[in-house]
Order: sequence, then structure tokens, then C-alpha cells
Amino acid sequence: MSVNVGDLDAIGVDARRRIGTAADEAALNQLRVDLLGKKGLLTGALRGLGSVPADQRAAAGARANALKAEIENLLASRARDLQAARLETLGDEEWADMTFVPSPVRRGHLHPLTLILREVKAIFSRLGYEVALGPQVEDEFHNFEALNIPQEHPARDTMDSFYVEADHLLLRTHTSPVQIRYMQSHKPPIRIIAPGAVYRRDATDPSHASQFYQFEGLVVDHDIRLSDLKGTIEYFARSLFGPDRRIRIVGDHFPFTEPSIAAAVSCGICAGAGCRSCKGGWLEILGAGMVHPQVLRNGGVDPDHYAGFAFGAGLDRLAMLKYNVSDLRLFLENDVRFLRQF
Amino acid sequence: MLISLNWLKDYVDVQVDVTTLAERLTLAGNEVNRIHEQDVDFEGVVVAEIKGLRPLPGSTKNQIASVSAGPTVADVVTGAWNLAVGDRVPYAVPGSRLNDRRIETKSFLGVPSAGMLCSAVELGLGEDAAGILILDQGATPGEDLRRLYPRDTILELEIKSNRPDLLCHLGIAREVGALFNLSVKEPTSSKPRVADARDLVRIDAPDGCRRFVGRLVTGVTVAPSPPWMQARLRAAGVRPISNVVDITNYVMLEAGQPMHAFDYLRLKDGRVVVRRAREGEEIACLDGKARRLTSHDMVVADAERAQGVAGIIGGADSAVQKGTTEVFLEAATWEPRSIRRTARTLGLRTEASSRFEKGLSPALSLPAVDRAAALIGELAGGKQTRSTDVYPGPLKLPSIEVSGDRIERVLGVRVQPAEAAGILERLHFSIERSDGMLRARPPDFRLDCTIPEDLVEEIGRVYGYDRVPSTLPGERTPVRDLYQRQDADEIAREVLAGREVDEAVTNSLVSSTGTSEIGMPAAPRSLVRIDNPMAENRDALRRSLLPGLLEALALNARQDQPGARLFELGWGFWKQATEFVDEPRLLAIAIHIPSGGGDAASAELRALQATVATVRDRLAVASTDFRQAEASGFHPGRSAEILDGGEPIGIVGEVHPATLARLDLPGRAVAAEVLFDRLTAGGERTPQARPLPRFPGVRRDLTVVVRGKIASNDLVQVIRQLGGYTLRDISMLSEYQGPQLGAGARSLSFRLQYQADDRTLTNEEVSTVQQRIIDGLKQRFAAEVRS
Repeated sequence: MSVNVGDLDAIGVDARRRIGTAADEAALNQLRVDLLGKKGLLTGALRGLGSVPADQRAAAGARANALKAEIENLLASRARDLQAARLETLGDEEWADMTFVPSPVRRGHLHPLTLILREVKAIFSRLGYEVALGPQVEDEFHNFEALNIPQEHPARDTMDSFYVEADHLLLRTHTSPVQIRYMQSHKPPIRIIAPGAVYRRDATDPSHASQFYQFEGLVVDHDIRLSDLKGTIEYFARSLFGPDRRIRIVGDHFPFTEPSIAAAVSCGICAGAGCRSCKGGWLEILGAGMVHPQVLRNGGVDPDHYAGFAFGAGLDRLAMLKYNVSDLRLFLENDVRFLRQF
Repeated sequence: MLISLNWLKDYVDVQVDVTTLAERLTLAGNEVNRIHEQDVDFEGVVVAEIKGLRPLPGSTKNQIASVSAGPTVADVVTGAWNLAVGDRVPYAVPGSRLNDRRIETKSFLGVPSAGMLCSAVELGLGEDAAGILILDQGATPGEDLRRLYPRDTILELEIKSNRPDLLCHLGIAREVGALFNLSVKEPTSSKPRVADARDLVRIDAPDGCRRFVGRLVTGVTVAPSPPWMQARLRAAGVRPISNVVDITNYVMLEAGQPMHAFDYLRLKDGRVVVRRAREGEEIACLDGKARRLTSHDMVVADAERAQGVAGIIGGADSAVQKGTTEVFLEAATWEPRSIRRTARTLGLRTEASSRFEKGLSPALSLPAVDRAAALIGELAGGKQTRSTDVYPGPLKLPSIEVSGDRIERVLGVRVQPAEAAGILERLHFSIERSDGMLRARPPDFRLDCTIPEDLVEEIGRVYGYDRVPSTLPGERTPVRDLYQRQDADEIAREVLAGREVDEAVTNSLVSSTGTSEIGMPAAPRSLVRIDNPMAENRDALRRSLLPGLLEALALNARQDQPGARLFELGWGFWKQATEFVDEPRLLAIAIHIPSGGGDAASAELRALQATVATVRDRLAVASTDFRQAEASGFHPGRSAEILDGGEPIGIVGEVHPATLARLDLPGRAVAAEVLFDRLTAGGERTPQARPLPRFPGVRRDLTVVVRGKIASNDLVQVIRQLGGYTLRDISMLSEYQGPQLGAGARSLSFRLQYQADDRTLTNEEVSTVQQRIIDGLKQRFAAEVRS
């Protein structure tokens, strides 16, 4: 095939027209193939330059290359225009309703007593405490006698017990027996918390249940002081409830501590002014004291060389305060509408 | 304990406002629960007696009460219906004032009403607005009500059980004196010479009575006590009865010693015997009830029979009443355990028993009798004639020594020795000081202080715990294996939450009937029974967590929340042959499938098995195996034991339909329970890297069709045997049952991974092994192979 200048002109005119009217990027790509591809018109024309007489070949070559460059420019420019036009209408073309939100992936929820215990453990692990456990079916020695609560002691009034196995054993009424068991099996220094279920024959109401949860703390070492107990309580309460809370320490009485104290945290609702949720601006959170020398002895620790402090708090009470739960009974009911709030 | 501020001021000159007073008492361990202002703002309200009641013509809401506050009778229209003829009521006469409201004669349906009868809330004396305030019979008609209820502030205190000495106004006055450094004026009474009459009282049970002080007062005139005394009793929550009885109560509320007054002439042979009751002995008590006693109970008897349950309640027969002229006063110190036991078995707690069971000092009884006898002389005209004081073992309170260093070592703050001594002295301790040591003898009304720590507590609570610095224990933290088990708990919980299972905490106490049989075969058959259950459906300790979880599924289904998925990590109680109770840690999962029949349940069952295997995989090095098994409470064809090294450690399966029927739970349920500590066996999972294979392996899938109850486990075992050393891994891919296969047939797909360490396996080599396996399965299980 031979090529003449007129052919090149015709190709140019046709190409300019078709590029200028290409409707979209796909049409433009097709056009590029038609013109510049391996079998394209212009490619064919260039290949035909070999048959052009030698004296005209240089001029025809220059014409053809110039046309090729022009077409490439035109294609690129048209492509830019078409892309710009497409991006302009992208929002309409590909609109999606972004307020239709599917539910998050369903997960299981952990029990609030687990969550509060996790927080308690995290706080005390930062202070170097270990977790100790003790049996829930206890004997009277560990639950009462070793803690200075003999038969007919008035403190037993508040701890009416469930007995099992023909009265030989009982369900522990508090986590304090773990103090004795741990001292009997470990030498000081001791630094533990002991969480778990406790049982009392209490009538059930929004703040009482026959099964509830406590955690006990015990520290025994040389030179342990009430000021250490106070600092520990403050660290714990502010870590759990927030650094702006005030802590109040008052005198109290427990048979197994001497001196005995109780701790309250300022109410988060009324900020200590007094409201229906608190008692005069304060929320009682735990009882505590310096371990009674006889209790140390009962645990096999010499009170002349060691001293200790102990504290006990209701895990369910802390969970009620922290998570705004109004009824203790919800914890053991396991209604999923309750559980899935945590 | 109710404390009248007016009364308290008899003994201590309280200067601070009541809020500060309450705050300091609370900090020192005597919590003030409530402050009630008896803020009486009325004039011209008097006591009146109801003489008659008749309807108000034309009204169903109101009635006419004829009332008398003196010689005349007036008619008053009232809307209250809690009235009876003879009642004493507050009567606002015409011209009287309630707050800023003037009361006049007013006409109701044409009937003039001369003033009005008042409720507690109208007078500011309480919250009860439902009816007219009914006064006690001690109130005299015509008397100004402000004398019955003077302006006062009532503190409601919570007294700790070791401080029975604070259950009285004088006790609180001493605390206030110590806290605010004020002197306390103790009441005194003149002590006339009285003949000692040893024969008046005989103690037959000295182990139950530490001291008995008796006094005979003759020539007494029983009448109402004076208004000031009645007002104080009312403020402290005790109803006035008569002068003699009121005096005994007054002395108790003043100084803490409960007392009893007998009509002496009604005591057979004129003497008192303190003894244990005869088994089954009956006594008619002051509250109108007859009680049957046992030989454990202490009584105060005359020559013949019990006239009072010692330290708890008096008898009706010898009660002081109108016309009584000779009064025998009793102030005794009873053994606290005996009182507590009797009060508990009788189900009766009184002002007296709640004091005695905490252990009162025997030092209180003689001054109390002196005081009461003197008051009777003053207010009821009596004369003390005979007296007795049986006190075999007088009180000895040894001194306690504590050093300044010790105080500092316990409290963590240096209390100046002078300040420490001052605090104890203000608490009525006798103090001796010598270089750094304090010797303190407790006052005779306090039995609770015996060791140095008791002194430190007294010093600490009065010094103020708010003045103790806040420190943390020193740096000798023990380093032991912190939380290994706890971490496993957390991992298991997270895995289960990720499998869409919610965490439950169920009651340890379960019903011994019902679904209690469900559980793993390893659990002992019999339950640990509660000897004294509170409810029939909570009469045993759980051996499995599953009954509680299944109950929770049923509860949720009833609450319109079908399809609950719950797990619990808790403790079971396994009865041992001895009296010992084993407490294994258990993990249980229960999933409700509301409908969808067998297929949905088997899919959930497979998923549950995978969940158990996943938890195990996260916790332990070992893998989890299942073995077809039967277990009580589970579907006979759809349950398996969970194995650890061939030993059963749990159960997984579909819950038996009969179990669900007992729970009234529609649909189906699948459940698993495993010994949690065995789940972690093999130790904490620490990844151990192996070299990567140097030569490519070959993977072949194998699908076989089997008929009948053939366990995949058995197939896998044969495959493994025949696979030789190049067969590295077998996994179960899928299970299919369907009409194309025919009834009872299942197709099982396995994936087999072949690998050699020293060469690239050839296809021919693997095919030979694969064929050997296929032949073996055909032979052993009549399996058809579809590859």
C-alpha cells in the first residue's frame, strides 16, 4: 500500500472530529486503538511510508509524525476533559444513603460482676497484690472463731448462716476466712485480695440477697500502719470512682480488726451535698481495720513482729454504684436485656 | 438509739450546732443516721379525751367527736376515723395556732365545730398524716401539748455492738465530752441507809447471772409520771406507762442499765429466785403473750414460778399496776450468751435484751437501783426499806500499757503523749504516764478494752482519722505467680464473648429436684444439702452450673427473649465420701434454639463443639477430643464427653427434651460443661516455632459415605494408622445427610495433608497411601468412597 499526503490529511480531519465527539472514556480508548494501535489507521500509514518515493519520503515522514503527536495530544486532552466531567457528577451517579447503619457485629457481653472485679483486680495488681481464693463451703473455725467471733457473739446476728452436711460446715458469710487460710499457708510479706461469693440467710429485697459478692484485702508485713490502710483505700476509691472524689474514714467496729474503720466516698450524683441516692452526701464502700493481734496469731503470724491491715467490700455494691444498677437481684437473674447493657 | 438533745444537755453543755455534733460523733464511730427536728410551732393545743363519736348528719366523710379537755365537753367535726372513745388526742381549741394558721369555731353542714383534732404531720411531730395522733394514756386531758412534746432535736444513732455503754444518754454525753473537751455532769442520787436483806434473793444459776441488785420500796403511789419525764421517754421512742415503770425505763435510757419493777406483794413468799426455767415452764408476759421456756432460759421467779424472762421481758402476773404499793426493783447483770440465745429462740428482742446480749458491765446495776429508788421516792412517794446485792465475782479491769511508739506504729501518725493521755482521760480512763509509756485503766462501765490496740483505737477515733496521713505500704512486695489462673479466666471469657455468648452468674443454691440431675458424668450423684434452707427451690448446692443456666434460658424465653446464649465460669460443689466438699471450677455454656427443629440444633451443636475446642485451643497446648457418650439430662444420641489425654473432663451435647419440658422451655437447647482447670491442662499456651517444610506437600480430600452409628473419630484413627509417616494432618471438613444418600447414610469429608521432610512427594507415592486408606475404610466400615 502506498501512502500519499492526501491520505494523511483525511486521517487527520477524521481523527480530530472523532476525538472531539467521543462520548466517554471507553469510546476514547477505542479511538486510541483505532488510530494508534498495532492495526490503527495512522500506524498503517506510517508503515506505508516505505513505498513513498525517496525524494518525498522525508517530508511525508515529518508530516506523519507531526500528525501522530497532534493526535496523542488531542486524545490526552479529551481524556482529561471527560474525566473532569465524570468526577463532577460522581456524587449523583454513585450516591449511597450513609445514614442506613447496620447493627454492629453481635458480641457476647461480660457480666457486670466480672467487669467490676476486673477493675478491682487491675487497681490492686498495680499495687502488687495477688489474687487468693478460698472455699465457699467453710468450717466454723475459719468463718467465725479464728476471726474473734465465738458462738453467741452479737456479730453473728448479722451473719445468719446456711449450714450443710449435718451442721459441720457452712457457706461462708464473708470472704474474711480467706485471710486466715492464706496466713496459715504463706509467710509474710502478704499482699492479697480475695474475691468471691458469700451467703447469708437474708430476705431478698433490692439491696439484699442470700448470695452476694465481696472481696477481701489483706496486707501483712513489718511496720504496716493505719496510714497505709488509709492511703490504700484512697488510691483504690479514686482509681475506681474518679480522682475528684473525696474519701471519708470513720470509726467502726469489727471483731477481727482493731482499730476498725469504715470508708465512704463522696456521692457522684450530688457531689456530697446529700441526695436520695446517698447518705448525707456519702456512699459507704468498705469496712477495714488493722488486723487484730489474736487474728494474726490464729493465722500463725506473730503479732510482735508483724502487723497488717484488712478490708472488705461488696463487689455487687461497687457495681451498683459504678454502673447505676438499682436492684441487686438483677445480678443473678441473667435477663439478657440486663446483661447486654454491659 | 434515739437521743434527745434536750436530755443530753442535762449532762454536757453542747455548744456546737447539731450538724457539727452529728459529724464528729459519726467520725468517731457512732454514726448519726438521721436528725429529726421536733420543731413544734403551735399554741393552745391541749390533750383531750374522746368522750363520744357520732355521725355528722348529711356527711359520709366526717364525724362528730365529743372531746373533753377539762370539766366541759365540746363537739369537734373531724375527717379522721382512727378514733375510739377513751383515746387521748391533740385538740387545737378555738383561738389556738398551728404554725401561722389560726383555729376558730367553724361550721360544717350547719354543725359548729369548736376547733380541730390534729394529726402528727399538722403538729410537726411526725410524717403520719393518715389519722389523728393518738397519745398514750399517760397524757392528762387539758395539758398543754408542748409539755408532752417540747421543742427538741432527736438524733438517731447507730451504736456498734461492742459499745453497749453508749445505748444511753449519759454514754453519748461522755462521748461528746471527749470529742469536744467538755466536762460531763453525772447524775447523782442520795443513798439512804437501807437494811441489807440477803434472804430477798437467791441465785440458783450463778453461771447465768453475774450480779443481782434488788431493792424494796414501800408506800408507793402508782400514777402517771410527770410530763417532763414522759416527754423524754417519748423523744427516746418509749411509751410512758406509769411513774414506777417510767422511772425504770428512764434510768435505762439515762445510764444504760435495764431494770424491772415487780409488784412485791404478788411475789410468792416475798422472795426472788434466779434460776433456769423448768423444761416447758410457761409464763404470761407483759406484752400479753404466753411463752413456753426451756431449761436453757434464765428466769426471775418467786418461790413458785417464773415471774419474768431474765433480761428480756417481765411477767404479767407481778407487773406494777394501779394500786401497787410495794415495789421490788431489779437491776441485774445477765450472761450475754444466755440472753442472746433465749431472745433468739423466743423471737423477741426488747430494749433490755438488746443491751444485755452485748455484755453490760456489772458496775452499772447498783447506781441504777439507787437512782431509780431515789426517783420513786421523789415522784411516787416510796421509801426504800430493804436491799440486796448478790455479786460473787466483782469486776476487775486490769490496766493496759501502750507506748507512744506503738501508737505511732499502729496509726502511722505521732500523737503527742499529752494529747493521747488527754483523750483517754476524757473517755474516763485512769492514766499513769512514765517515760514514753501510758498505763490506762478502763472506766468500770467499759468491758470492751483489754489490749493495747483497743487503746490505740480510742485515741485514733477521737484524735480523728482525718488527721492520719495517707501512705502506701513499703516496697517489700512479695513476688509470686501473679494471676496465672485469672488470665485463663479472661481469655476464656473473651473467646466466648466473641462467639456471641453472654456471661451469666447464677445462684449456687439450687433445687434438689427439677433439673439438678443434668451435668457431667464425673460429678458425684448426690448433692450437698442445705440443712436450713430459706426456700424449697434453694435447698442444695449445685453440682453443675447447667441447671442455673437452663433456668436462665427459660426465664429469658418467658421475658420474650428466646434464643439466649449464656455461659458461666463458676464453682460447683461436689460431695465427697468424707464430710469434705470439693469445689471444682466449672465452665458451662447453654444455648437456646427457639425453633427450627433438629437441623438448627445440630448446627448449633457443631458450633458449640467448635467453641469448646477454640477455648481449649487458646488455653492449652493439647488439642480437644470428643467421644460419643451418654450423660444424664442430655440427648441419648447427641452427646459426647470432652477428653483430655483420653480422660473425660466435660460433656457437650443437646439437652434432653424431658429436661426442657421440666423447665417449660420450648424449642431445643445445646449445652456443654467442662472442668475449667483441666481445660488449661498442658500448661499455658506459649507458641513454639517449628521449621517450615523444605519440600512441597500434597493435599488430598477424601469423602466417604457410611451408614449407621459410625463415629468419625474411629475413621480418623484408621486413616491415621494406614497413612504412615507421610500423613501429617487430618481435619474433618464437612458432614452431609440427604435424600440422595438414602436413609441412615452420611457422607463425611476429610482433608489429608501429606508431607515428607527429605524429598518432594510424588503423586504416585501419595496415591498408593490414599488407596490403602480407602481399602481399609471399605473393609472396616463398609464405607463407600467418592473422591
